Amino acid sequence: MGLQAYLTLAAIVFCLGLFGTVTRRNTVGILLGIELMLNAVNINFVAFSRFRGIETGMVFTLFAICITVAEVALGLAIVILLFRTRRSAMADHIDWLKG
Amino acid sequence: MTLGIVAFWAFAVILVGAGLAVVIGKNLFHSVLWLALALIATAGIFLTLDAEFIAAVQVLLYAGGVVTVVVFAIVVTERLVGERLSHTSRHIVAGAVVSGGLLALLVRALSQAHLDMARPALSGDLTRQIGTSLLTQFALPFELLAVLLVVGLLGASYFARPEE
Amino acid sequence: MMTSSPAALALAALLLPAAAFLIIGVLPPLRRSGRPAAWFSIACTAAAFVSAILAWRATRGLAQPIHAVWSWLSGAHGPFATVGVLVDAQSTSMLLLVTLVALLVQVYSTCYLSDEPAPALGRYYALQSLFAFSMMGVVLAPTLLQLFICWELVGVCSCLLIGFWYRKPEAARAALKAFWTTKAGDVGLLIGIVLLHRATGTFDLVELRQLAAAGQIPLAGLSIITFCVYLGAAGKSAQFPLHVWLPDAMEGPTPVSALIHAATMVTAGVYLLTRMEWLFALTPQVMAIVAWNGALTALLAAILACVQTDIKRVLAYSTVSQLGYMMAAIGAGYAGAGFFHLLTHGIFKALLFLGAGAVIHAVGSNDVADMGRLARRMPQTAVVFLVGTLSLAGVPLFAGFVSKEEVLGAVWAGGFAVPFFGLLLAAFLTAFYMFRVVFLAFFGHRPTEADTVLVGHGQTQTNTVLIGRRQAQATMDPGQSHDLSHNVGHGVTHAHDAPFVMTGPLWVLAMIAMAIGIYFTIRAPEAEFHAPGWVTPSAIAVALSGIALAWLTYQKRAISADALATAFAPIRRAAIAKFWLDDIYLAIYRSVLLTFSRAIGWTDRYLVDGVLNVVSAWTLDAGDRLRRMQTGKVQDYVWAVGLGLLALMAWIGVAW
Repeated sequence: MGLQAYLTLAAIVFCLGLFGTVTRRNTVGILLGIELMLNAVNINFVAFSRFRGIETGMVFTLFAICITVAEVALGLAIVILLFRTRRSAMADHIDWLKG
Repeated sequence: MTLGIVAFWAFAVILVGAGLAVVIGKNLFHSVLWLALALIATAGIFLTLDAEFIAAVQVLLYAGGVVTVVVFAIVVTERLVGERLSHTSRHIVAGAVVSGGLLALLVRALSQAHLDMARPALSGDLTRQIGTSLLTQFALPFELLAVLLVVGLLGASYFARPEE
Repeated sequence: MMTSSPAALALAALLLPAAAFLIIGVLPPLRRSGRPAAWFSIACTAAAFVSAILAWRATRGLAQPIHAVWSWLSGAHGPFATVGVLVDAQSTSMLLLVTLVALLVQVYSTCYLSDEPAPALGRYYALQSLFAFSMMGVVLAPTLLQLFICWELVGVCSCLLIGFWYRKPEAARAALKAFWTTKAGDVGLLIGIVLLHRATGTFDLVELRQLAAAGQIPLAGLSIITFCVYLGAAGKSAQFPLHVWLPDAMEGPTPVSALIHAATMVTAGVYLLTRMEWLFALTPQVMAIVAWNGALTALLAAILACVQTDIKRVLAYSTVSQLGYMMAAIGAGYAGAGFFHLLTHGIFKALLFLGAGAVIHAVGSNDVADMGRLARRMPQTAVVFLVGTLSLAGVPLFAGFVSKEEVLGAVWAGGFAVPFFGLLLAAFLTAFYMFRVVFLAFFGHRPTEADTVLVGHGQTQTNTVLIGRRQAQATMDPGQSHDLSHNVGHGVTHAHDAPFVMTGPLWVLAMIAMAIGIYFTIRAPEAEFHAPGWVTPSAIAVALSGIALAWLTYQKRAISADALATAFAPIRRAAIAKFWLDDIYLAIYRSVLLTFSRAIGWTDRYLVDGVLNVVSAWTLDAGDRLRRMQTGKVQDYVWAVGLGLLALMAWIGVAW
């Protein structure tokens, strides 16, 4: 399969993730959408790395995976904190960014 | 190559299907499990790209670690709230328009790009090469990553500490 | 030697009052001290008067006018505008008149206004000095631009001095009326000056005169220019129909009326036309307008004067009438005669006003109905007033006789027969109404209300009411005293001659009036025209018959005033209504200006404000709507980022 197929696949997965991120009401659901988007990026990294014959992309994938793990851990911690303070995990109810 | 093509298509279909299930499913717990499937399918995609090490890390860290942590979080919060977490969607049309439009434009751009290069032959063990660059060229980011993980874990445990 | 040069002397006369004004104006302690400010101003004016005498003597027999100018506004080709003085026989004689009357009036005012609070007195003298400066600026102006500036300054001073008792509503209203009415003419003058500059490229009177003599002034459109200039002169010199402000201006202190509204300022228009006669000579149509309108003004004002009971208003209308004479002479093409009448009139009219002021000061009323047999109690005032009246009536051996006869001769010689007979009739009326005042106020018994004057009951009653009201006003507001209030109650019985400070100026003016009269009656001035021999006898006859009629009606009472009133009922009614001019102006004001203002107001309130309100409401509404875009929810921001990415890609895609 050519590079194009991989990139297209990654684009599809990315857009699915974006859709989830935008539409999900539950904060955990939003996190899942973000995971999908990151995953799509990883596919791109690996695909480019393989097709260009440079292993740097794969190294970056490793980094990305590790950072994602840290991000998920922090994100879930925040979700639990929200539960505690607001008794809700609904992103709709969180509008602290409004001035 | 035929095996590679079949495998790509199989993993791709699983990945897209599972991804779709993640974002439109009605059950949060099921969504997490679908995500796990999607991550494993991604590992399969990595395998078709000869990146066995990345695939392994993907399965171990991502599919294993992340999914486990999320499941834990769900269980804990449901216990906290004392009811099932609802898992509905909002503004579906607006989200679909933006992500669909973006996808269409991306595909259009990709179809117009001249990218159809053949993959080069492997010049040795890819895993070894990755390991080498990790510990030579990317040694400093690698160490920083360790620091980041520690900080992340500490922060997470601080946020999630039990109530006084 | 610099000091003896006429230009330097004229400049000194011009700048001394300006210095007095600046010093009194700049130093509030001096201004508030009142009397010292008055004497300072008088000293400066006296010095100016001496300079004027010297300048006048120096310019006698001068062939060429002395033209001393300094560059003021520089232009691309030499100075655009200059300032300076233009000294010739004409301007120095006018200068002499202005400084003389100003000096006498200022001396006179120290007594007349002695009841004023000190700061008001200081203000009065500051304005008097400013007026003297401005008037001399007009007189000496070498360029039309300088003339216009001083002209406007004169108008401002006039307005401020008429409104000297600004707490009196009539005075404040009269001041504004004078200002706006003259302003209407001044707009014409300004337009005329600008048009003239466009046609010739200069403001300078000397250059303009040379151009006119060389026939280099384009004749096309010149009538418009001269007519515009005449409009300005008509406003200032109270020509019909812009004369309405002058009678009302009598609300000011009487010395102000004497200086500004009789002797000097109102003659500025006549002077301007005299100054520019060579230009007007190029446009005979406009000259005819000037002559006809002058005669009309003279006649109408004389008729109006016959029905007035207020002594100052009689004098005011006679001023309007005499200004009409001057204008008629200028229009007939003999500006010299008009200017001569201007000079003599300045003297005897100032005399009459100051005399009337002395009477008012003593009696405490403007109304001739409140006077009577004053000759016995105020002999000096009666004598000088009689001198002035005889001058005005045009009796031989008095100043007005020579000049009025010259004017009549000039109008006849100019070929204006109808205006001539109008002026002759006006001369008859002049003698009649002036002697009416003299007999009623100074001789005869104190009249009963029934046979007071031509006017009859209604007017007398309103006057009584008016005085009563002013009395009440005076008691309510003790700090404010004026003409009528401070002596009300004295009445005729306690009236007596004024102190020397007031009678002195009167005697000076009376002497000059007599001297001029006798001098020119004996040695007739060489005329520029040939008037037929019957003009002089007819003028004398007309004047004497007017006096005789007044004597018969008001002294001997051989003719009933009521019978006269009935005989001329329609004219009387029209005259009492001031020929409805004020009503017409009021109607125009109401219908045009107020409607226009209302339309403007409506436009402002509903259209301008409405647009602003709608725009601001839209802004608020749009802000309110846009505000809701900021939900504060992270997902919406992510969505917006996605949308931005979409737009960016679409843009790049199109660009590809």
